[in-house]
Amino acid sequence: MGAALRLALGQHSEAGSKPLNQDFHGAALPTDAQRRSRGIALAIADGISSSPVSQVASAAAVRGFLEDYYGTSEAWTVRRAAQCVLAATNGWLHAQTQRGDGRFDKDRGHVCTFSALVFKGREVHLLHVGDTRAYRVHPTALEQLSHDHRVRLDGGQTYLGRALGLGPHLEIDHACWPTEVGETYLLATDGAYEHLDPLLVINTLARHGNDLQAAAQALVAAALARGSQDNATVMLARVESLPDQLSPPVRRERLRLPPRLAPRMEFEGYRVIRELYASARSQVVLAVDAQDREWALKLPSTDMGSDPKALDRFATEEWVARRVDSPHVIKAAPAEKRREHLFTAMEFITGQTLAQWMTDHPKPGLDEVRQLVDQIARGLQALHRKEMLHQDLRPENLMIDRQGTVILIDLASAHVAGLNEGLGDARATDIAGSLQYTAPEYFTGDGGTPVSELFSLAVLAYQMLTGELPYGLQVPQVRGPRDLHKLQYVPLRTRRPDLPEWLDRVLRKALHPQPARRQQALSEFAHDLYAPGPEFMSRDRTPLQQRHPLLFWRVLTLGFGLSTLVLLGLRVTGH
Amino acid sequence: MAYVVPTEFVTKMVDAGESKLLMSTRDTLIRAYMAGAILALAAAFAITVSVNTGNPLVGALLFPVGFILLYLMGFDLLTGVFTLVPLAVLDKRPGATWGGCLRNWTLVFFGNFAGAMTVAVFMAIIFTFGFSEAPNAVGVKIGSIGEGRTVGYAAHGAAGMLTLFIRGVLCNWMVSTGVVAAMMSTSVSGKAIGMWMPIMVFFYMGFEHSIVNMFLFPSGLMLGGKFTIMDYLIWNEIPTVVGNLVGGLTFVGLTLYSTHYKTAPKRVLS
Repeated sequence: MGAALRLALGQHSEAGSKPLNQDFHGAALPTDAQRRSRGIALAIADGISSSPVSQVASAAAVRGFLEDYYGTSEAWTVRRAAQCVLAATNGWLHAQTQRGDGRFDKDRGHVCTFSALVFKGREVHLLHVGDTRAYRVHPTALEQLSHDHRVRLDGGQTYLGRALGLGPHLEIDHACWPTEVGETYLLATDGAYEHLDPLLVINTLARHGNDLQAAAQALVAAALARGSQDNATVMLARVESLPDQLSPPVRRERLRLPPRLAPRMEFEGYRVIRELYASARSQVVLAVDAQDREWALKLPSTDMGSDPKALDRFATEEWVARRVDSPHVIKAAPAEKRREHLFTAMEFITGQTLAQWMTDHPKPGLDEVRQLVDQIARGLQALHRKEMLHQDLRPENLMIDRQGTVILIDLASAHVAGLNEGLGDARATDIAGSLQYTAPEYFTGDGGTPVSELFSLAVLAYQMLTGELPYGLQVPQVRGPRDLHKLQYVPLRTRRPDLPEWLDRVLRKALHPQPARRQQALSEFAHDLYAPGPEFMSRDRTPLQQRHPLLFWRVLTLGFGLSTLVLLGLRVTGH
Repeated sequence: MAYVVPTEFVTKMVDAGESKLLMSTRDTLIRAYMAGAILALAAAFAITVSVNTGNPLVGALLFPVGFILLYLMGFDLLTGVFTLVPLAVLDKRPGATWGGCLRNWTLVFFGNFAGAMTVAVFMAIIFTFGFSEAPNAVGVKIGSIGEGRTVGYAAHGAAGMLTLFIRGVLCNWMVSTGVVAAMMSTSVSGKAIGMWMPIMVFFYMGFEHSIVNMFLFPSGLMLGGKFTIMDYLIWNEIPTVVGNLVGGLTFVGLTLYSTHYKTAPKRVLS
């Protein structure tokens, strides 16, 4: 395990010549686990000076952000988590503005600027709205990272274009850069930066060396000495160490690889009933615990034992299951005691797999299929809301229980955005699932998005209806964007002529090789299956030969036959 | 050598068969070409060793290096796909059809053939100094092998054909056992040991391997063996391919699949 993320901080704020300091600033000192999953956050806010209450706004924004940011799901990316928290803060501030004087005069409302730096992994994220500034300090210059949201009028006057609490909706800038050990970042309010120049900042930093607190005080003092009439706040952060790699959320160093389980064996407080499934990757057994509850235990195979990456993914499965709450996603067993071995315990679902269901129902009706598809879509949406991709949607990974509820199982291939950011490319580019159901963008290297899961779901729907794959085995053979044009969709109705025409169009759209040309949400696809829009209902333009091949050839042959008879008749009658 | 239990490696065999079905035409051809070429080179090497030492056992002992090399690089031989690919179809993996299986076999056949032919030409140039001299001792030996194993079988008529077929069956029984043995272990050393044993057996016993023959016989023709292309095709290559198919599928693929895979309860939960 590489070094942890560490920062040196220095921060100082002074009211200056004003009676009230409306600036607010703060940094979070998270626990080790939080530092890995959420990073280190520092925030600064500057209340607008025209308002008598903006100090409340700036304090609420900074405090709220630093507290709530660490309460967001660890599965989320920094961007999603921060935007979610700031949208809530903005909503509250705006409501305060509307209740007080600010309702008629925005200048007197709960309004403040806000900038935050979040260090996570080997990257730094900037969240920014308003005209406080974030800089990266270079040896001879300052690089301004933030963009001032100021509106300049002809008379030279400037107004704040965007700020927290100004409107019901918030548009917040997000940017992300890789960072290096030794880099220094500076956050400053306008009262400070308008009176500082790069040389002064660089010299002050050089003079104080590692004492960033003293440097921050010196910078504020310098700004006030140079005639700043406003509150002045400076925050400095220097990267002291960075992690070399992303650490998996579940530590498995002290966990041993389990033995192969046989019926009646005792294992970690469970009694094994029987084996449910075994493959080259895992063994799944049914087991009961001390309270006689049934669980499905999944153990890594011997083969996986030599692949640390696969073991990390394996260990993440329960972590993922605990963070998703949906009737259509499998639940993990409560973690009641320390484990000795690496395994996962999940709820045991009595029922059948979708694969078995497809064998039992070779020609299902549209209604049965769309009810299943709708449920799978809900399960996937629950994952997507946590910025997770299932990535291994296939008939064997879907259970239909006795009541007919479809449940997504096997979350070991899931891509969790929040766990993958911090080292540059966080896209889901690894093909983790069954190739037949994987969307073409994985094969071209573009990586998966929720719309890729829509493709996989549509492949499943097509397979449920016809028993075949819409592109056969062509998709896994895609190597580049050029191959996408060669993919030949086999129309649904050539295999199931009894199904409506619009259904073919809905599926064809969801199965489009270009992600941008599919439905853009799972809900949209599920809705289209129930209530197709006019684009799918347009007049039938497919040629007769494709719609009714048998009829077409019959009519054609009949025509030929008749014309032969006519010609023969003409010949006989001597014309 | 980490040992993988049979139920595990049999699912791995089916997975491997499935992945070969999903491979693009280009990849299948290139991998088959390389496999054919490396195996042909190993055959040339083993015969050279046999001729130079006068002891065919030494050649057989060393021949497996070629097979191990091409397996570790992930290249495909016709003998291997004969065993693995049908398992994916039998297991009803999505999209797996007999048509796809035949497509894969055909592509691998031509890829292997092209690779083996390339090496045959290269080696013929070496054995004859660019066709400027009579072939050296090794070249003569290859020519005589080609003769013995085509015209030799033809001389016995139907009995010759049967022998040829059985030798083909036995060959892929051994070779495919090598492929499977490689899946039994997770380490390179374990894989190499697993593959070594059956490959050595097949080479020493002179069983008929369709890809090794794709090198031996065209070389033999180029080096002045007294047999024709039709002799080669009818009295060797075609019966060998059929024998290899039967041997690999029945003795290795189906036996393991039916005893270790099908007996396991169907999956209820992932």
